[in-house]
Amino acid sequence: MPLLLAPALLPIVVLFLGGFAFGVAQSLGYQPYLGSRPVSLAAYRALAGDPAVRAAVGLTFRIALVSTLVSAVLAVVSALLIRRTGRGRRLVTLLFQVNLPVPHLVGAVSMLLLLGQSGLLARLGHAVGLVRAPADFPALTADRFGVAIVAEYVWKEVPFIGVVVLAALTGAVAEIEDAARSLGAGPWQQFRHVTLPLITPAVLSTSVIVFAFTFGSYEVPVLLGRPFPATLPVVAYQSYVDVDLAARPQAMAIAVVITVLVGLLVLVYLRLSERWLGRGLGGRR
Amino acid sequence: MTRARRPLAAAALALAPVLVLAGCGGGSSSTKTDATARLDPANWASVQKAARGQTVNWYMYGGEEPLNSFVNGYVAGRLKKRGVTLNQVKINDTVEAVNKVLGEKQAGKKNGSVDMIWINGENFATGVQAKLWYCGYPAKLPNSKYIDYSDPALANDFGLPVRGCETPWQRTTSVLVYNPAKLGAGDVTSVASLFAWAKRHPGRFTYPAPPDFTGSMAVRTFFYDAAGGPQQFLGGFDRRRYTAPAAKLWDRLNALEPSLWRRGTTYPAGQPDVTKLFNNGEIDAYLTYDSTAVQSGIDQGTLPKGTRSAVFTAGNIGNYSYTAIPADAAHKAAAMLLANELISPAAQLVNAGGQGAGFTPVLVTSRLDAADQARFRSLPQPPSQVPLDVLAMHTLPEVSSAYVTALEKDWKANVLQK
Repeated sequence: MPLLLAPALLPIVVLFLGGFAFGVAQSLGYQPYLGSRPVSLAAYRALAGDPAVRAAVGLTFRIALVSTLVSAVLAVVSALLIRRTGRGRRLVTLLFQVNLPVPHLVGAVSMLLLLGQSGLLARLGHAVGLVRAPADFPALTADRFGVAIVAEYVWKEVPFIGVVVLAALTGAVAEIEDAARSLGAGPWQQFRHVTLPLITPAVLSTSVIVFAFTFGSYEVPVLLGRPFPATLPVVAYQSYVDVDLAARPQAMAIAVVITVLVGLLVLVYLRLSERWLGRGLGGRR
Repeated sequence: MTRARRPLAAAALALAPVLVLAGCGGGSSSTKTDATARLDPANWASVQKAARGQTVNWYMYGGEEPLNSFVNGYVAGRLKKRGVTLNQVKINDTVEAVNKVLGEKQAGKKNGSVDMIWINGENFATGVQAKLWYCGYPAKLPNSKYIDYSDPALANDFGLPVRGCETPWQRTTSVLVYNPAKLGAGDVTSVASLFAWAKRHPGRFTYPAPPDFTGSMAVRTFFYDAAGGPQQFLGGFDRRRYTAPAAKLWDRLNALEPSLWRRGTTYPAGQPDVTKLFNNGEIDAYLTYDSTAVQSGIDQGTLPKGTRSAVFTAGNIGNYSYTAIPADAAHKAAAMLLANELISPAAQLVNAGGQGAGFTPVLVTSRLDAADQARFRSLPQPPSQVPLDVLAMHTLPEVSSAYVTALEKDWKANVLQK
């Protein structure tokens, strides 16, 4: 059995753990091309005092959290609505998930063309006389709140969560719902005590994936965000391309911090989901 | 089964960001690599022979369309005649190529995938720090007879001695690009008059956030102005000379900030964003390090017709830019052929003529034969462009990269993060 797992485990061990170990080593000052240098925690200490990093932590958390919550709510609502569609369900489902294979990079550029001040919305606003010039349209890209970043994540992740939730809404679920209804449950009671608990595992697991992804994603915030404050991965890359090679350990340290934060979150999720799901249907009071 | 798999999936997810940074490898595998026998640049015929059949991977900033078409059209055609394939690898920032070479050196890769880099001072200095460069060949290139390697401006790249580790191929000079319907002749004579105009017309000027190459140049232009010129900064970094003018500069830039694009709450991330703002009519002026590309931009429709450029009376920043070959490059012979091709009178003429990238030539024109001299003299003079001799006359030197880095870091702390 363990031997059969080897082909699947090998890439994870070699690529992921190997890459991580290398990242940790570099964050501790391992830079052979600069000659031998003492191993130190200097890069981590420098992070604490760097205003770019300090501003990035809150921004990254906020963007990841808002994107995940909005995506999860919209995904559940969409999945429940799609389930109700009768004959056209196949077509609706297809349309719902049509953007799943689109890369985030393409999504981000599309948001730029749509929401940027030289974008479609701004030009429409100008054409119908809402603003004097397209440039007067409210800034939705490179703005304070990261509107376009969240919009891109939501656009991309709603179908991802939704498809998994749809898969969880099987015929068996419908039967239990019927049973609840025949026992006198109203629509809200049915949703609250039957449907929601049954789809919670799907929503939670996909939400964790979405949060981890949005927390560590680089291409979307770099295209749609600001140079400062920027998200953690963007700050890591800024340090990585600093002309001073001495800044390289700091870039690796940020990457390690992102990894540890997301890792902790996943551990919390595993612990919580075990506790919640262990209680079974209707047990959450 | 599920339980065992979940933590692994979790670990995979969690490690993704590290991989993005640590796992930058790969690259196009290519053709015939250099023979193990040492290459002798002094024996040019042997270099030509070794280069035949090679593909040279030239890593260069890919954001200037006229330059890209010059490289993939004219230059690639010339190399093809000598049996060499040119593969232009477009990058956003030169440091990406330097990082690739560093990564390959660290991994002990012998046949490096980067054969040549178009490079500027800071990244050249990074490579010198890590001993990345192949040296000693530039003066031996046949076309080097047209170049004056004793010129101090050329022998030093941002204050760092070149020491035969890179070949100059372009001179760049900066200009202010502007819309003459919005800015008058009096508004473009100095940094002070430009700033005064910007304050009267809020939101119509900006510059990219350093360390963007052009943004960094813009801040140096303002720094020279605050300090009364670059003369006192030639030579190594001197904090006593730097502190007072830098403090004055941050005050000025912070005073200007509310009048910039988006009220200065943010800055464009790079020069392509700035040109887009100009083309969309969101700003009316910007600084560029690519003085002679204004006309080619107009010709290709990427800049509005009627766009003009100007240099401040106090001068405009300019420098030589170079090509460098990494010591572990797999195709050094082809790379040397390319370096030589780029400094041929014909290529330099195409370049200067505005059909190419439109850069000021690096050749000493008096060393050319009479016919080539005449060709350079008869280059067209479009109204959008500052004449080549005026550009050269006003050029302000670049200072040591230590000043550049200090300005970039301090701009971030004193302007961007304020």
